Amino acid sequence: MIFLSDFLNAEVVDVRQHRVGRVRDLVVVMTEPFPKVTGVILKGNRKVRSLDWSVVRSWDNKELSLKVDAASLQPHSRADSELWLSRQILDKQIVDMDGRRVVRVNDLQLSQVEGALLVVGVDIGSRGLARRVGLEGLGRRVTATLKRDWPQKLISWEAVDPVKTDVNSVKLRIAHTKLAKLHPADIADIVNELSPDDRSAVFAALDDEKAADTLEEIDEPQMQASILERLDVERASDILEAMAPDEVADLLADMPRERAQQLLQKMEEDEAGDVEELLAYREDTAGGLMTTEYVAVLHTLTAAEAIERLRELEPDAESVYYVYVIDEEEHLLGVLSLRDLIVAKPETKIRDFMIKNVISVRLDAGPREVAEVTSKYNLLAVPVVDEHNRIHGIVTVDDVMERVMPARAGGRRRRIF
Amino acid sequence: MARADNLAWPARYLRSRRAKVLMLLSVVGPGVITGNTDNDATGITGYALAGSQFGYDLLWVLLVTAVCLWAVMEMVARMGVVTGKGLSDLIRERFGVAPTLAAMIFLFVANAATTVAEFTGIAAAAALLFPFAGDAARYVAVPIAAILVWFLVLRGTFRIVERVLLVLTLVYVSYAASAFLAHPPWGHVIRQTFVPTLRPTTAFILIFISVVGTTITPWMAFFQQSNVADKGLHPADLAYERIDTGIGIFMTQIVAFFIIVACGATVFAHHVQVDPSDPSAFNKIALSLAPLAGHYATLLFAIGLMNASLMAASVLPLTTTYAITEAFGFERGIDKSFREAPAFLIIYTTLIVLGAGVAMFPGAPLALITNLPNIVNGLMLPLLLPVLIILANDKRVLGQFRNGLLANALAGVVLVFLTGVTVMFLASIFLPGLFG
Repeated sequence: MIFLSDFLNAEVVDVRQHRVGRVRDLVVVMTEPFPKVTGVILKGNRKVRSLDWSVVRSWDNKELSLKVDAASLQPHSRADSELWLSRQILDKQIVDMDGRRVVRVNDLQLSQVEGALLVVGVDIGSRGLARRVGLEGLGRRVTATLKRDWPQKLISWEAVDPVKTDVNSVKLRIAHTKLAKLHPADIADIVNELSPDDRSAVFAALDDEKAADTLEEIDEPQMQASILERLDVERASDILEAMAPDEVADLLADMPRERAQQLLQKMEEDEAGDVEELLAYREDTAGGLMTTEYVAVLHTLTAAEAIERLRELEPDAESVYYVYVIDEEEHLLGVLSLRDLIVAKPETKIRDFMIKNVISVRLDAGPREVAEVTSKYNLLAVPVVDEHNRIHGIVTVDDVMERVMPARAGGRRRRIF
Repeated sequence: MARADNLAWPARYLRSRRAKVLMLLSVVGPGVITGNTDNDATGITGYALAGSQFGYDLLWVLLVTAVCLWAVMEMVARMGVVTGKGLSDLIRERFGVAPTLAAMIFLFVANAATTVAEFTGIAAAAALLFPFAGDAARYVAVPIAAILVWFLVLRGTFRIVERVLLVLTLVYVSYAASAFLAHPPWGHVIRQTFVPTLRPTTAFILIFISVVGTTITPWMAFFQQSNVADKGLHPADLAYERIDTGIGIFMTQIVAFFIIVACGATVFAHHVQVDPSDPSAFNKIALSLAPLAGHYATLLFAIGLMNASLMAASVLPLTTTYAITEAFGFERGIDKSFREAPAFLIIYTTLIVLGAGVAMFPGAPLALITNLPNIVNGLMLPLLLPVLIILANDKRVLGQFRNGLLANALAGVVLVFLTGVTVMFLASIFLPGLFG
């Protein structure tokens, strides 16, 4: 097997066996599926600092021989989406997509395929570590004497996502396409283990929907806020628009006020309006807990019209627990389940079969009260009304439980350091 | 709907105001915790020996070490805030495997020695608390403490334990009270704080090095940076974090000051000879609290020592284990099973077993063992500091937050000072006649 560490520090000699320098680094371009080595960065030579891989004739025993004369060497021609393996990948953290975890790159496995040298694998095992300090041979003798196996721990390049490449966002977008295919909950777990800069880099690479879902999966508002603070305002507000308003309100409340206002201003008018309304309520009240994403229909509609209205609204799954019935001034008159709507005759007016005494809570109700109401009446969501019985939002059972239950046991990984 | 700029956030704003205060409180954390952990068994012993043997002569060192501490702690706190990574992460990413391996071996050895010292502190405190039990006291106390520490940390209740131990550090107020009640010559004390005194004797040099070594330890740099990084602060919070670091340093040094003064005004003033290799050394040092506590001086001293030792015994093995597993990319985390993270649990358990095991060695000179790591740590600093300076100057690590001229000048002076101290120490060993 060929490894990057075999190349690093190798002697480079030209066609006449004259010493040119030593290998400092290998340059790859991010071709799919495997990055291809395109250049060599040299050290120990003031004139020639790099060369193209095409002038390399062969290598063995820590020596790289060139096809050409040292005098005719041209510097390596730069390309976009280029990476320096030792500087940017080796020893850094990398996301293992199959294991869905963050690992450290101990060495890189290379392979010669049709004349090209490709990066095919990442060594994350103890053998890679030993190889780097020149102790792999010794280790193998020891394990052989003990009749033990010392397996290589390699993961395929296809299954990794380089976390940090450069501050260049274009490169990052390319780099994180694999990561973007994971479930938001998995991305959130991975992001949890990264440093703040790397977190933002991952988010920069996700589309708005995915970024919003991932952000919602991250439990700590402080971390959510710190991720958004490191993104530019335009991008951050786009992500916020794709999130549920109550999540946005919680998140903004954890940010410095100026930054939060900046973000709100950049958001679309009605999205921002919802969030602002939520922000006006104390966090420990029904108003602070509720979301403004609920489904309400006018009492004058027929069942068929109401169903048609639902089609237009295209509500998210979690907001159609119940369909609320309101008048023109948003007074809460009744409630329906989807089942009620569907089984009713299409031409029946909904006010004729809706449930009239709706269980609701006031805006200033405490979390405990909301929790008691939902559990007593077995509700999935409870509407929140003001003193005039106008509906302002709903509190879903999971949101209130999250607040009332003491810190969830067995949640995300506990951290001390 | 109103636009954001003219929006009033009545209730949530209240909350965000509260959040700001909380922010300060939560940011004022890592530095203060690190500062308090710094006054561990080795710290108390080092300062107490300094005061007992040389009176107020070493007080000026505290000012010098405060400056050194600031130079080191500010750098690591800044790196923690900006990169969100631990120190060993950065060392690995910047220097590669071989230098990291060397650094981790050094760190392991120094921290193992210090862990031994912490458990020895527990043994000594137990012996003071239960004098009638004789040696049995420590044969019982040390294993209990080891199991307790191992269990508490891995059960994730560490944060709570840490808070309790932090509150218990109020015990140190007793040193201040005792110092005042002993009526030391304050004029002389103040003078000695600001005017350096140097005695060219090996004993003095050793205490001098151990005071420096107990105050500025490599493991504290790792601990502080992990702690700061774990907070997930934004670079905008850097000012808070600097305040926090400053407060932490002040607390460390003020406690050290009063320990030295209390010992100087009592043990030293009454010409009690304290020899660290003497088994009764701690009993003599405990006399420093007699002006406050009278017959209970020993009890009070023992509680302080026990608390300091327990705190450091929980923090130190964990910090070391995190540093090493982080550097080599081993699975880690207190919530992982042995199958998931074998290296993590092996290193962690080894440190505790080693620490507790050596501390129970029959006839071990307790005060000497608790003072030894100070010397080891003091010697390691000139090796760690250049690493910190290189990292803190690296544009790719800290970007715009890398060291400025002032930070570099300060770090340079500190490096020269610490190297000088080390050379002096080596000279005192290899050229015994040099200092008479």
